[in-house]
Parts: sequence; structure tokens; C-alpha cells
Amino acid sequence: MANDDKMICPECQVEMNFHAVKIDYTPAMNKAESVDRMFGGILQEFHSCPECGKTAMRKEKASE
Amino acid sequence: MNPTNPLFIPIILGTTRQARMSQHVANFIFAEVAKREGVETELIDIRELPFPMTGENGDIKDPVFSEKMLRADALVLIVPEYNHGYPGSLKHALDTCLKEYIHKAVGICGVSAGPFGGARVIENMLPVMRELGLVTIFWDVNFGNVGSLFDESGKLLDDAYIKRADKFLKELIWMAKVLRYGREQVALE
Repeated sequence: MANDDKMICPECQVEMNFHAVKIDYTPAMNKAESVDRMFGGILQEFHSCPECGKTAMRKEKASE
Repeated sequence: MNPTNPLFIPIILGTTRQARMSQHVANFIFAEVAKREGVETELIDIRELPFPMTGENGDIKDPVFSEKMLRADALVLIVPEYNHGYPGSLKHALDTCLKEYIHKAVGICGVSAGPFGGARVIENMLPVMRELGLVTIFWDVNFGNVGSLFDESGKLLDDAYIKRADKFLKELIWMAKVLRYGREQVALE
């Protein structure tokens, strides 16, 4: 499930916009314990800054 | 969206071979993009990128290339067709990034010695673009019979390509603007 808190752009100090999620299967290949069992990988969130356009990525919370 | 920020649309020359005809195509498209108001561009030659062929993902990432992809709103790929496929060197370069591409536009110019203008390599590129998070447009420019399209100095000999490139770039710029707005303003629900 998506994180509730907004990411803050490290450059502009404004709230970033959350616009995409992608499954990263690399942790599954490495048998990491943090793999989301429902999706078989780690869900990565992508956020962009409305001021400078910078993109940031963070791990989504695991499914219940 | 900050409308004062120009779009950044780099051109990626996707082959490292000597005597590559794609160089002329890249120069032509670069000049066409550079004419547009509100657009900044740069020609990126993958031959100049320091990507080792071995190592973990983090090891082979080039910070300069990564920063350019992060700044980009759209990409133009100049892709020669080699045995119906794309150059492995181009795929290797593109694979060093991911978050840099998400929800950004991409347009592809196919190049071939034969008459089909890289139509087959463009089709082969589409699933790769999708997996990288890039959004393809439906205009391509197909540079077929490339050996006779330019003179020795690289001058384009067929003006029809100017109009074709114009249609291609208009759609790419539209898509780049829409996606920039979406990335920065439209939240995933």
C-alpha cells in the first residue's frame, strides 16, 4: 500500500507528486526477506518535484 | 509545472560502430530539435559513455548520463537496425538507468541500409521502452536506404525528411509537456 506521507524535494523543500509504482524483482532474485509476497518483488514508488522536476524513489509499504 | 523551465530533449546516438551512417541522422535530428523554442537539447553519443561491460547495476551507472536522463523530459533515440534488432551497446547504456525514465516520452528514429528504415528495430524497441517506464509516441522517422540519404559531408539530400521530422517532433513535444504536467501535478490514486 502507498505511503501516506508526502516526499519532500531535497532541492526545493516542496511536496513531491507521487505518480508511479513499479515492481523491482531484483530483491526476489537475491532472496531478500523484504519481498512483498503478493507481488513477488519490492514495490517502488516514484515521486516528482513540481518545481524542479527531480524524481525520487522509495519503497512502498508491503501489502497486508 | 513551472512553465519557465524549458523542455530538455536529448538525442541519443545508439551505435558505437565506426563509419556509422546514424551519425548523420543524429546530427540532422539534433539540428531540428535545436530550432524549437522552449526546448533544450544535447547530442549524447553512446560511444563516449564509460560503461563497463561487467559489474553490478550500481557499478556500471554513469553519473553524468544518469543526471541527463533525470533532467530529460523526452528522449529521441537514433537506432540503426542490425539483423532486425537494436545494437547491444544501446540496450546496455539504457539499462543503466530506471527511475530517470519513468513517465517520460520517447520517440524513435530507425536507420537502415535497406528500404524499410528501421521499421523492424523500432517494433523491437517498443517492449523495452515500456519496461523502462518510457511512453512511446506513434510517429517514427524511418531513414531507409541511408547510404544515399546524405552526401559525404552529412548534408541531407531528401527534404521530405524535414517535414517528417517536424510531425515527429510536434507529437514528441506535446507528449513531453503532458507527461511533465502529469509527473508533477497528477497524483496516482
